[in-house]
Amino acid sequence: MIDIYQINPGLWMILAGLICALVPKGDAFAMVRKAFIIGAPIFAGVMITQIYTSQEVLAGQINIGGLELTTLRIDNLSMVWGYLFCLIAVINGIYGFHEKCRITDSSALIYAGAAIAGVLSGDLLTLFLFWELTAISSVFLIWKGGQRAYAAGVRYLALHVLSGVLLLAGAIFYAQSNGGDYSFNDIGIDSLGGWLILIAIGIKCGFPFLHMWMQDAYPKASITGTVILSAFTTKMAIYALARGYVGVDILIYIGAIMTCFPVFFALIENDLRRVLAFSLNNQLGFMVCGIGIGTELALNGVVGQVFVHVIFKSLLFMSIGAVMYRVGTAKASELGGLFRSMPITAVFCLIGAGSIAAFPLLAAFVTKAMIISAVIYEASYDPSLYVIAAMLLFASAGVMEHSGIKVPYFTFFSHDSGRRVKEAPWNMLVAMGLAALLCIVLAFPWGGYQMLYSLMPYEANYQPYTVDHVVFQLQLLFAAISAFCVLKKFKLYPAEKRGEILDFDWTYRKFGLGIMQWIGAMWTRLSVQTTRLRERAIEGAGRRLFHIFSPAGAMSESAPSGLAAVLTAAMLIIVLIFVYFVR
Amino acid sequence: MTDINEPEALSRKELEERQNAHPFAVPFLWLGNQKVIDNFIWLPVLGMIAMIALGIVFPQAKPAPWDAIPGSWALIGFVAYSFIVLCAKPLTALLARDESYYGEGGLADPEYSTDPDITGEAHHD
Repeated sequence: MIDIYQINPGLWMILAGLICALVPKGDAFAMVRKAFIIGAPIFAGVMITQIYTSQEVLAGQINIGGLELTTLRIDNLSMVWGYLFCLIAVINGIYGFHEKCRITDSSALIYAGAAIAGVLSGDLLTLFLFWELTAISSVFLIWKGGQRAYAAGVRYLALHVLSGVLLLAGAIFYAQSNGGDYSFNDIGIDSLGGWLILIAIGIKCGFPFLHMWMQDAYPKASITGTVILSAFTTKMAIYALARGYVGVDILIYIGAIMTCFPVFFALIENDLRRVLAFSLNNQLGFMVCGIGIGTELALNGVVGQVFVHVIFKSLLFMSIGAVMYRVGTAKASELGGLFRSMPITAVFCLIGAGSIAAFPLLAAFVTKAMIISAVIYEASYDPSLYVIAAMLLFASAGVMEHSGIKVPYFTFFSHDSGRRVKEAPWNMLVAMGLAALLCIVLAFPWGGYQMLYSLMPYEANYQPYTVDHVVFQLQLLFAAISAFCVLKKFKLYPAEKRGEILDFDWTYRKFGLGIMQWIGAMWTRLSVQTTRLRERAIEGAGRRLFHIFSPAGAMSESAPSGLAAVLTAAMLIIVLIFVYFVR
Repeated sequence: MTDINEPEALSRKELEERQNAHPFAVPFLWLGNQKVIDNFIWLPVLGMIAMIALGIVFPQAKPAPWDAIPGSWALIGFVAYSFIVLCAKPLTALLARDESYYGEGGLADPEYSTDPDITGEAHHD
């Protein structure tokens, strides 16, 4: 008898995804798939609730080839990610309700299921399995973006499979240095395995120079696909960091850089889905930095930030996706004035923008402050961390620029593009409404953010709604908006222009490709020469063999009987020696 | 050329705009009014001044070194934002290429295009 409480809840979603893949096409069957899309994450969430008992639960142990695997671990850390992924999978399911696509439905379920199973896995090998499954299942969401998304999907897959390979190699090295123990706990960077796993995670969560897949693939995926993609992969990587690399100093600096560099790219990027992908990268920086700080306050901030970030980032992607669905583009240069046609979407987008910018009473106000405060508190022991705190404040102004102002302003306000379209479909509005409601509720001073605190791994005593915090945060935000208005008034704010912004992926998409093409051309030239030499050599060898073995050759000439006897005796000796030793 | 300052022309334009707008948007069409846009700046500026004043009265409980300067967070916000935006020109010159640069067709294209803030005229690639 199978005990369903021993089964990783993510597997139920993967199973639902596989069933969806087998459900025939057609409108009637599409409703069956939609029932799975919304029902499966709810079921998985219920299973997590049933299994988790406020203590760490280890279950689903299996032995494969002498390796003891723990396929299910639910504790106060993995539980948060598990619930979050179930919640956002339901919201995404509602958002994509209008889309009658079997591939999207099944890959979305398998992808979300793999992410849930990954964060609920108790050892590195199980994590590796679901790590790769997230990559393989999610690439279909990118390819649903059409022909122009194909190459981006291949690049995405290549990098993520590489990440998986590094994770596996790291796990093996780590286990070797750890007495063969594959359990996924604190790893650190004291061993080669630890470094390899860190790089594997770094690819997935967009460390500098490893981040390009995000801005390359996400804007090219289908509308629903981008929303789904934004929720899982990177947050799964943040979970892995929070599990294995708490307090690793290098993460403070990596995180701080991650918060700052995407700000500049987002500024000059015209495609708003790509702007949001840069913004995603920037927000991940706050989380990485918090994990590097590693104090209880910082980790609570990271967990809270992950939770609200998934919601408000999805909300922003959903609102731009709704615009794209109606208008046909997400390019800022082609949009503007859409509040006249899509006022409800505009309000939801503004709530998402306010949340990411950390306005009081909106989502990130509580959680981002926890991370920045944790850095400032630690800086009282290590003054060099004031530089990091300053970088985070700088990045906060940057967030206000690209997500707080640019995205809603150029989409819904700015100049009137003259487009008069319908409001978003009802299901998109419901999904955005739910996300917007959560953005407000989870920052509400009276019983709201306390719900978020109840999910945090440590007891949270941080008071976000103090006068000084509200006042200084509003100083920053009002100043940033004032700067925008001043720069706009004096025509110093750059106009949105169509174009391709070069990023680090240029190194392999252009430079690397150029080098490979050059090597290919050289190889072709070289092979012409080598073919000629080879042909000559073969021809020469053939001619010599002919001279020796042909009927007119040297070997056909009659030999003296004495020489023949010696040769025969020599061959006999060789055979005898061979037989003697082989026996 | 229609003079938009004429009450009759303005009302006709308004009427047309109301007819084309979503019913929920009608009470907020004033947001597109040029006067409102021009004067919007006062809202954040006054907010910022008020917050700087309140910041002097209620200083940070756990101050960073820069909190010794009154209005430090406003200063950081204004300077950081302006710096980021002013970097746009050199960065665009350095990093922006044609949409077809990689030969993969770029991102999804619309049916038509308008270039705001510069020409105000429709253009096609």
